[in-house]
Amino acid sequence: MLLPVPEEEVRPFDPPPVYAELRKGPQVVRVACPTGIDAWLVSDYAGVREVLGDGRRFSTRPGQAAHVLSGFGAGDGEPVEGSFAQTDGPEHIRIRRNFAPQVSHARRLAELRPMVERITDEAITRMLASPQPYLLHSQFSTAITTAVIAELIGVPPDRHHLLHDAATALFTTSTKPGELRTALEPLWRYLYELIATRRARPGDDVLSRMIELSADSDRPLTDAELTAMNGALLIAGFDTTASMITYGLVCLWNTPGQWERLCAEPGLAVTATEELVRYLAAGTGLLRQAVEDTQVHGQPIRAGDYVVVALQSGNRDPGLHADGDTFDVARKPGPHLGFGHGAHACVGQQIARLELTAVLRALARRVPALHPAVPLEQLEWKKDSVVRGPVELPVRWS
Amino acid sequence: MKVALERDWCIGAGNCALTAPAVFDQDPDDAVVVLLDESPPETERAAVEQAIGRCPAAVIRLLS
Ligand code: SF4
Repeated sequence: MLLPVPEEEVRPFDPPPVYAELRKGPQVVRVACPTGIDAWLVSDYAGVREVLGDGRRFSTRPGQAAHVLSGFGAGDGEPVEGSFAQTDGPEHIRIRRNFAPQVSHARRLAELRPMVERITDEAITRMLASPQPYLLHSQFSTAITTAVIAELIGVPPDRHHLLHDAATALFTTSTKPGELRTALEPLWRYLYELIATRRARPGDDVLSRMIELSADSDRPLTDAELTAMNGALLIAGFDTTASMITYGLVCLWNTPGQWERLCAEPGLAVTATEELVRYLAAGTGLLRQAVEDTQVHGQPIRAGDYVVVALQSGNRDPGLHADGDTFDVARKPGPHLGFGHGAHACVGQQIARLELTAVLRALARRVPALHPAVPLEQLEWKKDSVVRGPVELPVRWS
Repeated sequence: MKVALERDWCIGAGNCALTAPAVFDQDPDDAVVVLLDESPPETERAAVEQAIGRCPAAVIRLLS
């Protein structure tokens, strides 16, 4: 069977129906992926959690997306130094712990909140002063998340285009590995220079803090590691979150009563954020590779076999929520797979929560009359990307 | 109620400290989880169970 992938023009918010069947069993089946590799597909909540939660049995070395992105070709060459998404075990944890205090420490998040809220408010003010229809994805969602992540790392506005170019190449399935390297070069070169500058003159940004923190450890991060990590954070940090803002709004507007409910009670932005991430979770799934002969749900899996975990399907598992296919902005937050799971769970998840919550709360308060300017059927959806959502979203308000 | 941690595998994701701030904090240097109270009162049970479910690295355990 072919790997079932999202078809938003048929079902804008739901995984292909075959997943509901697969979750009843057999939960592990053999599939052919678009990039030409064969893999085991795991589609239920417990199975996905088991695979992602056990980095000793399932490695992330081939990259998380080689099943849908040819640029991430499984097994073509060694991962780049510091590409922590492709590093396992203690080595990965060593890198990750240099990151974590800057982006996921509860106190640091409290410090960052005013910055995120200011950027959001400015973007709304700019929007309200613009002619309608307004292009929400490119002019609002992307502008906010780019500004946040760039401010976090200390990249000035005149260099923001480097992130956009790199992310476009990285998340586009048609990019060939050679082209990918060329497309990422300018960002990498810029970051290299930035690291040298910050080593000489530290500031209060993530990069400076990481350099300082790791300098005190027994194995300080190299320039190459810092470049790869910050590059990954910059690229992943704006495109995924921006798409979730845009896609999330479409989902809120098109599920009866949900936007109205949020506007009546903007405090629900917190649960609405968590629910959007659960409900719309990466429909293309994530890739792992077995490092030993093992089993999932009794299905033998041989060392070297690829495993695709279906996050969105897992989140709809009746074992997690009896009404998992219902989108409910007031759903009590609980565990889900929307940010992945295990040691490689999204490193930017707290920043993403901060941004999504700030945007939903501010829009519900300031622009409750915001609505799409075109019918749902006319939206064009991203096809050749792991990051899903509308390509663009024209909106109006009164 | 008794809580235990396997700090070596903590990735510093911060979900525990955000979910059950009376029981968990994070080290200011590496964001690794810090157990504030290894025998928290029963009133914290729901929050601790939430934190266990939301910890991506499965490093928090409930011993009783
Ligand atoms: S949620 Fe888990 S991984 Fe994250 S800081 Fe707490 S214990 Fe560590």
